[in-house]
Amino acid sequence: MSRLQSPSALKRKRPDSNSQGMTDQESVVYKLIHEKENMGIWVRDIKRSSNLQDTIVNKSIKTLLDKGMIKEVINVQNKTRKTYLAAEFEPSPELTGGAWYDDGNLDVDFINAVKKLCSQKIKQLKVATVESVMDSVKASGAFKADLKKNHFEEIFGALVLDNEVMEVESNGMGEFAGIKVGKVCYKAIGKRRVGAAAAAAAAAEPRIGAMASIPCGVCPRISSCTPDGVISPGTCVYYQKWLDF
Amino acid sequence: MVSQHGILYAVHLITNQFGNLVAKVCECLLRNGALTLQAIVRRTELSPAKVRNCLLVLIQHNCAQAFILEESVSGEDAGEPGKALTQYIALFVNILHRVRFSKFMDVVSKELGGSCGELFRGLLEHGRLTVKQIVDRAGANAKESTNTVQEDLGKLVMAHYVECCPAPEPLVPPPDADTKKRAKSSKVMVEPLTLEQRVMAVAMPSAMRRFSFVPNADQVADDQQNVNQPPSKDVGEKRKLHDLESDTALEEEVECNWRANFEELLRRLRHKTCVDTIKVRFDDAAATVLSAMLEASRAEEDKVKTANSVPLSLNTIYEEVVKNEKNHSMTFDHVRTCLEELSCPPTFVKTDDESYSIDFTKITEAAQSEEIESIVLKRFGETAYKIFRLLFRAGCLMETDKIADKIFAEKKETSKTLFKMWQDGYLLMEKLVVGGTTTGPSYGGSSYLLWKVNKRLLRETVLDEMFHAALNLNLRLAHEIDQNKEVLNLPPDKREGPDKQKFDRLRNVRLLIHSSLMKLDDAIMLFHDF
Repeated sequence: MSRLQSPSALKRKRPDSNSQGMTDQESVVYKLIHEKENMGIWVRDIKRSSNLQDTIVNKSIKTLLDKGMIKEVINVQNKTRKTYLAAEFEPSPELTGGAWYDDGNLDVDFINAVKKLCSQKIKQLKVATVESVMDSVKASGAFKADLKKNHFEEIFGALVLDNEVMEVESNGMGEFAGIKVGKVCYKAIGKRRVGAAAAAAAAAEPRIGAMASIPCGVCPRISSCTPDGVISPGTCVYYQKWLDF
Repeated sequence: MVSQHGILYAVHLITNQFGNLVAKVCECLLRNGALTLQAIVRRTELSPAKVRNCLLVLIQHNCAQAFILEESVSGEDAGEPGKALTQYIALFVNILHRVRFSKFMDVVSKELGGSCGELFRGLLEHGRLTVKQIVDRAGANAKESTNTVQEDLGKLVMAHYVECCPAPEPLVPPPDADTKKRAKSSKVMVEPLTLEQRVMAVAMPSAMRRFSFVPNADQVADDQQNVNQPPSKDVGEKRKLHDLESDTALEEEVECNWRANFEELLRRLRHKTCVDTIKVRFDDAAATVLSAMLEASRAEEDKVKTANSVPLSLNTIYEEVVKNEKNHSMTFDHVRTCLEELSCPPTFVKTDDESYSIDFTKITEAAQSEEIESIVLKRFGETAYKIFRLLFRAGCLMETDKIADKIFAEKKETSKTLFKMWQDGYLLMEKLVVGGTTTGPSYGGSSYLLWKVNKRLLRETVLDEMFHAALNLNLRLAHEIDQNKEVLNLPPDKREGPDKQKFDRLRNVRLLIHSSLMKLDDAIMLFHDF
């Protein structure tokens, strides 16, 4: 028998370890994470499914993270939940939030940039479809992100809610000539004024309704206001400011 | 049922114009519905004579109506079995009209001229007048001749701005008979009429009698009466019927009191609102075309809350447009283009086989939602504005996360905003629990919050807030005047320095509050009357 033995041979074989260098517990945890592929798994679900003690699960996860075999991702649906993915997978749009999220947060600047460009395109085209604007935006190369048709539909929906554009249906005639009858189109909102009137309208504040132009209309305490109460028209500070010429 | 702040606002208007006693009786009727004289006396603790006088004032000014229910009376006021008792009901709508007199005057004066306007003013001030009283008043004020006055009254009646007053104590049939009759003739579900509507429907004279004015008939009847007895000294005292061998219709004509026809006036204001809404959304040309359509179909419109105007051909509309000298330059094609644009969704003008009709409901709803959106934006912010528009259009329950996705907002901010809007009554909320055991979601289930706009409830909430705001504007104005009464009592030449500043400020306050009240009243009409 050689007295010279390889150092590894001298090491006592660790109980419960496998060929990847993981313990059995780590292997169980890794398997659960890997099975979920790009959907990821919540740490509490790992603990429930593995039936292992919390401390063992936590230790296993730490080890796997250190080895680079798994990664932690932010779940935009629930940011407080620690979610883990096997390292080789990219998180799904359900986890990341899709094109509109960056590192788990809503990318407001990007969204506003896309909205602004789409709004401009709609104004240029007078009557626009989702496809026509999408083609125009992609051709301009303004954004690196690969935006699909559903992304543009979401943006157009947001522009309608902002009251910047309106959704209409093509009747195939007049300004809709060339667009299939019944096809959903979009038009910029704004009166058809020309010249100085157009400039004035563009610069003007949006119309304020009758109720919104008086203190009571926007008062957060209107439900507590009574003629002779602590909060009343006579004592109201909003009225005081409004009538302070 | 009138809302709480609607009642407070109406009572305030009556107090300002007729005093506390009349307001007390009015409030009693508004809060309790129709009551007999005895019931009012009991509830207000006023003497029967005072209550009677207050009721007379309210009836004179069309703010209340007496009636008798056909069915037998039972309950606290039961007298002899089967004996019908006169009851009184407050006319909330007519009380609201009292702040609109300047708008009504404007409509009448613009269309029929100054002298008709002046005659009309008298009817608004006095509530109702006989022809003799109208003539006497015009003679005293402007030295108008009887013929001129009668001619002006005829013009007002022909334009339907003035009508014959309703019957003083009509007999109102039970609701079942009336509802069944209407349901049979209509194929859609008929909403039951309120008591106020039933009473006024019966009290109103027939269309022919309501707008039938015969000049000089009154004079003839007067001459005949004078043969039998001395003339009455008191203006306004009702004539007693005598055994005259005259025509019954003539006798009825003598009895007729005349008053402003608020229905027609409201219809004109509704038209004005529709034109203004279209002008803002489209342009002046579209507003001109709509205005022409309204004028052309005016004679056929018989209800304020008509859903659609009568269909008109393109030729008819064009002819009406160019009747006005200012529109002579508008071409046929331009009119057609405007109609095509108005026909695009949301379809303010419907087309059917080359005829066009206005969809009043769509225009009114568009104006209403614009008003509500304005409140939401100012009160709750931009996120709330987008949430509201999303839910209003969706018309169904939507989950918090989905709402956040649609408006591109953070879920936390979305949730906070939703709760604020819900607390103020602008949204409905429902909780949905999915999965879990019967012991609760903590055992494996999830709970979701769903949100929705209930349009009918929302309109009621907003309308009540508008009444509240209108009352507050009035109370604040009264407070400002009270705070500065010394300055107001100073003669103009004594107002110097700080006093002058206070006076100038008070003048500006009055202007601002009055104009805000008029604008707010337009919004109240939009939600309550149109």
